[in-house]
Amino acid sequence: MSFPVKGEHLHKKFKNQIVLSDVSLTLQEGEIYGLIGPSGAGKTTLVRILLGLEKADSGKIELFEQRPTLNAFRSLGYMAQSDALYSELSAYQNLSFFASIQGLHGKAKKSRILEVAKAVELDKDLKKSVAQFSGGMKRRLSLAAALIHQPRLYLLDEPTVGLDPLIRKKLWTLFHYLKEKGATIIVTTHVMDEVAQCSRVGLLSEGKIIAEGAPKALMQRYHVSSVEDIFIAVEKEGAKK
Amino acid sequence: MRNLFAMARRIISQIVRDKRTLALLIIAPLLILTLVWYIFGAKTSEPNLAIIHYDSSDYMSAFAKNDYKRMTPLQARQALADKKIDAYVDLKNPVKVHLEGSDPQRNGLAMSKIQESMQTMQTITVTALKDELTDVIKAQQKDMQAQQQMIAQMAKAMQIYAPGALAQITQNAPKAEQPDSPHKQEKVTLDVSYLHANDDLNTFDAFGPAMVGIFVFLFIFMIGGVSFLRERTTGTLDRLMASPMKNYQIIWGYMIGFGLFVIVQSFLLTCYIVYVLQIYNVGHLLDVLIIVFILSFSALSLSILLSTFASNELQMFQFIPLVIVPQVFLSGLFPIDTLPGWVQAIGNLMPIHYSTEALRNIMIRGSGFSGWWLDGLILILFSAVFITINILVIRRQRPLTS
Repeated sequence: MSFPVKGEHLHKKFKNQIVLSDVSLTLQEGEIYGLIGPSGAGKTTLVRILLGLEKADSGKIELFEQRPTLNAFRSLGYMAQSDALYSELSAYQNLSFFASIQGLHGKAKKSRILEVAKAVELDKDLKKSVAQFSGGMKRRLSLAAALIHQPRLYLLDEPTVGLDPLIRKKLWTLFHYLKEKGATIIVTTHVMDEVAQCSRVGLLSEGKIIAEGAPKALMQRYHVSSVEDIFIAVEKEGAKK
Repeated sequence: MRNLFAMARRIISQIVRDKRTLALLIIAPLLILTLVWYIFGAKTSEPNLAIIHYDSSDYMSAFAKNDYKRMTPLQARQALADKKIDAYVDLKNPVKVHLEGSDPQRNGLAMSKIQESMQTMQTITVTALKDELTDVIKAQQKDMQAQQQMIAQMAKAMQIYAPGALAQITQNAPKAEQPDSPHKQEKVTLDVSYLHANDDLNTFDAFGPAMVGIFVFLFIFMIGGVSFLRERTTGTLDRLMASPMKNYQIIWGYMIGFGLFVIVQSFLLTCYIVYVLQIYNVGHLLDVLIIVFILSFSALSLSILLSTFASNELQMFQFIPLVIVPQVFLSGLFPIDTLPGWVQAIGNLMPIHYSTEALRNIMIRGSGFSGWWLDGLILILFSAVFITINILVIRRQRPLTS
């Protein structure tokens, strides 16, 4: 068993505000790890630090059991909270560009674009300019751009925010499919019913991981019936101490 | 290499698909230059002038009827107040000029016209004086002739009565001087020759090189800066940084993508001002193009650098008064030799300053490579410094991989 992502004792401060304090996190290959917590808990910062888009004040990060290099990014798909698309371009041009910088060219690129477009159900809208896309379509295109180079590790920051339940369900089917093929996925989310579908979840609150484990095991441990209640239970426990 | 081309291709298709940006980049500079061409290239109109107290004056002939309206003092004062005339000349002795005064350019025009007339006036005075002098001299000559006749008569008488005394007198007598023939009247005109250009060079021709620089810089700065800023704010830059792209590829991709576009833009712009507006140009079109192109590169690299310090489009545009406006004034549109040293030092830090110098050398002085290589080199150095800083900035934002 290998560990695609390993972060140890990560600390991060923005000015005087502590965003992460002593966060350690290890992902196992082929799991979907849900990073959950209220907004402002530091989920996005943690993902960006793991990606190397932000520097941790202290701590160590390994990607694919190595110090991160540019090459690691070849096996890494990132989807940010913002859609991060070129709105002047068509959907096809967007995917084509992101495929090119990942080293895909020619026929392989073309067939891959059609493949991912189909996976997010945008294959009929490829010629449209992104500016004409609805919020949900942009979100899906953004996901498609993260999938394009068939990475082994996905970092998805709120991938399903603003999507209708039907599409959301389809995307989760896609995530499970990717997982079956051996990919590791780290996903941040607000939506609690998605949490149940993760292999493991980490509860992030005020810059700390307050609980970690399989959703069911956590619910049993804290004697609660939903993941939301775990937060309340943990806080109560903390108050008792 | 492929990554660079992918970046460049993407940027070009972005610009091409965004028709407004395309129009702004290409048509707007042409429109504004045309406007400037009309403003500065227009022939300056003749000043409206008048004279008063002309009846009693000897100088009236110096103030031709076509150029100076005849007015009474009251009329003239009224007309001046109503801005119907720019100035009037009071021909009473001493001659006085009254200017309207609110527009320095009109003042200058009126004064140079009046001074011209004053010169004619002086020649009139001088001729009159000369005539008087000649009269005096002639009268004296007559007197002298009369005296000489008398002396001759006396000499005759003396020859008869006292020949010995006469010998002494003729020895001592001063030789009668021949009066100089009056000088031929010489008209004083200046023979003007130009080292560069000729008297057809109008204000636009002189401003043109600076204008080209300013507009190319401004538009590339705006569009390049905003488009890189958007890359940051929309998060696409993060996506690039979370890809195997190298830092220099991100920046150079931008430079090349815009660079190809800039070639087209500077070509159109230069052809337009040279062939359509027919700005004075004795240099090679290619030299002009090279300078415009190098300048755009420095504009682009500077705008990418400054976009780091802006968090939205408005903040990006706040750099314009700071970065563009001083460049306009210190670019060489206005002479800066007399400014305090620190202002000149700032001027030396401005890319447009060098492009203006180089373009003037090429277009007006007709110098080839030897006339612009130094300015061009400085512009390239500007770009090199900006690009290096840009790459370092990107590297700082990708701490893991550096």
